Amino acid sequence: MPDQPKNPTSPDLDAWRKAAAKLAPSGDLSRLAWKTPEGLTVKPLYTKRDLDGLPYTDTLPGFEPFIRGPQATMYAGRPWTIRQYAGFSTAKESNAFYRQTLAGGGQGVSVAFDLATHRGYDSDHPRVSGDVGKAGVAIDSVEDMKILFGGIPLDKVSVSMTMNGAVLPVLAGYIVAAEEQGVAQNKLSGTIQNDILKEFMVRNTYIYPPAPSMRIIADIIAYTAQEMPRFNSISISGYHLQEAGATQALELAFTLADGKEYVKTALSRGMNVDDFAGRLSFFFCLGMNFYLEVAKLRAARLLWWRIMKSFAPKNPRSMMLRTHCQTSGWSLTEQDPYNNIVRTAIEAMAGVFGGTQSLHTNSFDEAIALPSDFAARIARNTQLIIQEETHICDVVDPWAGSYMMERLTQELADAAWTIIEEVDAMGGMTKAVESGWAKLKIEQCAAEKQARVDRGEDVIVGVNKYRLEKESPVEVREIDNTSVRDSQIVRLKKLRAGRDQKAMQAALDALTKAAESGEGNLLDLSIKAMRLRATVGELSAALERVWGRFKAETQSVSGVYGAAFSDDAEWKALQADIRAFAEREGRRPRVMVAKLGQDGHDRGAKVVATGLADLGFDVDIGPLFQTPEEAARQAIENDVHAIGISTLAAGHKTLVPALVEALREQGASDISVFVGGVVPAQDYDFLHRTGVKGVFGPGTPIPECARKVLAAISARRPSTV
Amino acid sequence: MMGLSRSTRLAAVPLERADETLIRGVLGGETRPIARAITLLESTRKDHRTRATAVLEALAPHAGKSMRVGISGAPGVGKSTFIEALGMQLVERGHRLAVLAVDPTSSVTGGSILGDKTRMERLAREPNAYIRPSPAAGALGGVAERTREAILVCEAAGYDVIIVETVGVGQSEVAVAGMVDVFALLQLPNAGDDLQAMKKGVVELADVIVINKADIDPAAAESAARQVRMALSILRPASPNWQPPVIALSALNAEGVAEFWREIVRYRDTMRACGDFEARRRRQALDWMWSLIDAGLRARFHGNPAVKHELDRVSRAVNEGAVTPVAAAERLLGLMSD
Repeated sequence: MPDQPKNPTSPDLDAWRKAAAKLAPSGDLSRLAWKTPEGLTVKPLYTKRDLDGLPYTDTLPGFEPFIRGPQATMYAGRPWTIRQYAGFSTAKESNAFYRQTLAGGGQGVSVAFDLATHRGYDSDHPRVSGDVGKAGVAIDSVEDMKILFGGIPLDKVSVSMTMNGAVLPVLAGYIVAAEEQGVAQNKLSGTIQNDILKEFMVRNTYIYPPAPSMRIIADIIAYTAQEMPRFNSISISGYHLQEAGATQALELAFTLADGKEYVKTALSRGMNVDDFAGRLSFFFCLGMNFYLEVAKLRAARLLWWRIMKSFAPKNPRSMMLRTHCQTSGWSLTEQDPYNNIVRTAIEAMAGVFGGTQSLHTNSFDEAIALPSDFAARIARNTQLIIQEETHICDVVDPWAGSYMMERLTQELADAAWTIIEEVDAMGGMTKAVESGWAKLKIEQCAAEKQARVDRGEDVIVGVNKYRLEKESPVEVREIDNTSVRDSQIVRLKKLRAGRDQKAMQAALDALTKAAESGEGNLLDLSIKAMRLRATVGELSAALERVWGRFKAETQSVSGVYGAAFSDDAEWKALQADIRAFAEREGRRPRVMVAKLGQDGHDRGAKVVATGLADLGFDVDIGPLFQTPEEAARQAIENDVHAIGISTLAAGHKTLVPALVEALREQGASDISVFVGGVVPAQDYDFLHRTGVKGVFGPGTPIPECARKVLAAISARRPSTV
Repeated sequence: MMGLSRSTRLAAVPLERADETLIRGVLGGETRPIARAITLLESTRKDHRTRATAVLEALAPHAGKSMRVGISGAPGVGKSTFIEALGMQLVERGHRLAVLAVDPTSSVTGGSILGDKTRMERLAREPNAYIRPSPAAGALGGVAERTREAILVCEAAGYDVIIVETVGVGQSEVAVAGMVDVFALLQLPNAGDDLQAMKKGVVELADVIVINKADIDPAAAESAARQVRMALSILRPASPNWQPPVIALSALNAEGVAEFWREIVRYRDTMRACGDFEARRRRQALDWMWSLIDAGLRARFHGNPAVKHELDRVSRAVNEGAVTPVAAAERLLGLMSD
């Protein structure tokens, strides 16, 4: 192009600053910069100068440090795997869904288990009556596994299993199901999540204490390295950390530090790093923070390479971070839910630009219930459209060379590295988790985030801005928990009647003994027991006999949420009302925040507890995994004015009525019951009829909840004790 | 407390009818009335206080028959784990156990977050255990008095072991040691911890010292126990009849917990035999009366209209150096008698 005019002057940044300042609010250019929750500054303009001093701006995909991707051709060669996570109460329904997905362009199966299975209980255990078939498929034995994978060629279809607590019986059950399908274990491909450290921080679906849990992981890594070369032994997950409130930097840091801990554990068992490092995979969250999410995946690969380099592997694959990603469930809104389709598409794009190896896109109705067929189809098609209509796949790492993206990648990596060093100084992630420090760090982020949303500083369209005057109900999938449980119990009875009890018991005893002595491979022994038709609950109990069940210590942050409201007139008015209540009643309003059943997602409960306490409530936190009867007893013993139940896993229709009934039986109907969390609009009436005083959907600001609770208990028992 | 005999009963307050039901419920060992009674006596309302006094008077003759155990230690020392392990053994042996958890901090604006049952999950499920965490007091204070009263309620309800748990910060140990029969201090097996406790003068209060978390490093725990024993040997014991034992144990594995309880029983038997047990309770009763008088006088002082009117101005004057503290105090106290 010979006639092209030359750049008139070399770029003069000062001149730009002056011009831009004129357009900035109050002439202050810094007001256009965005400070991210982790404290990074995102500027309105990046220039070539921002690349100064960056060490990794000229690298290639498929080569160290892998910042641009683990493979040379990335999606230009073959796009990412579309992997939709799903589980529908029974093995039969789930199986039908998987086959439908595979026929419709899905490329792998991803299994969601129900809460009872996660926690190592059989469906007939009395503590899980409200949890069977909730949030996933109920699996009690190999027989259920065989139905789950019926007609799915396990040597061809890769299977991803979200399982962390009951990893041994579930992975063993899958292996035996394949074996009886005629597929040898060395042909199996897929991933088991098996990331227990993050469970202690956020999701709480653990069974045993940290130390024996780490042994299970080491045994699984060792066994799969030897027998299942195509299977990923662990999926180190940041997803749930971000969902619980962590910033991107914290998600990145804790996930990689978890990974480092697993590597150290395996090495301490005498394994060679190259024998297993290539089979470690990752799992990150994609939220609405678009640029940072792209940067996060690039930074993750850079940092993992840096971490692994220190273990001196010979195979470059050992330093290569491969990851699955899922769009954020937290970003989905109950209000105006079709907006979620747009959110999910944007989040999916961030994952694609970041170079993920597989992707799950959420269904738009998942803020309310398990996905309907319609919503699941749209979610899957979102990925197909990006893959096949847009030509986005044709270029590898297209954001490389962007002044902004290169700068942010490095800054995010640096921020995460500082946290990783802090973890190292504490003695590694197991220590950081055991002390409760890591969990509190995430909860602090969550409280800050909630305050920003409740104050409207972080905009959520349709929730704290542009609200619809009237919401129209969305069709949702209903689960009949009782019938699922009943049919599982029948199947369990049949299984127990038809097996060689003596041989089975001997296999379980061998497991107990291995737990005691520390010798033998637990996965190997689990496979033997599952083959003889031990159940998930029996196998878990055989180990529990030695290790016990882990009991979390509840710590909580305080002051973080309230600090954001220090100048807020409405907040102060509410505090004054609470003080007035305390004077009138002779004590502060006392509420119990509880979770019922096996659902361990406690972000909502903890954020509400800290917010209410900052306002001036006395807050009793109930232990996780309480039964309705236990919660009623605690409420009565502590003589609270009200109970708030946080529910995210569809337990509200069985567990809440049971709680109300337990209170009534003990003459404590005057204790008001509130429900918060994921409740479909059509269930509000049902809950109100049960006697619930208020239902707070996602997005209800804490002060609003507080005001309603205060009004209800003020009206209830005036000036008596 | 030990009820005054009928003839010396002072200023008997008439019972409200509702409170008669409450009292019957407490004496019958029913959870709801017990919980309600504790709420009543925790209340800062004046009329509630009057009713609480009457209820306590009625319950007092039925109280006093439990073993009152105070347990304290720094945050993270494993108090809840220990109480749960101990509590489980006690209920298995047929005891009825009440745990009163006291939050000694005082907060004016925010409320408390109470997670005790989270930490004593198994015990919380036991039918013969009652766990009641009390929130931090508001500006009005008085946590210690409320706990003494709650002990009476639980005793009247038939609980024969009462554990008062408190975080070891500041004055809370002194307050708790002053309301229980035996005071146990929990420590970690690391050096320096014992020195801290020495400095604060808390060790002198302890009748039993526990070195917890012996499972982590049994040798370290034993050596910590030896160190504490040595340190104790130079202190003068509170009673010439009792040398405080030091026990290394693991609450997590419930190891050594039975031994701890044997020491508590031995303490009770020894102290009863020499009369120190009853003497301690009598002393505590008198202390209690005095602390109520102190609190009452203070409340009256603050409630006096003339004082209310003058307090700010006089305080400012002292602050500015315009008046000596001596003159100011005299002036304000003088207003009360006017």
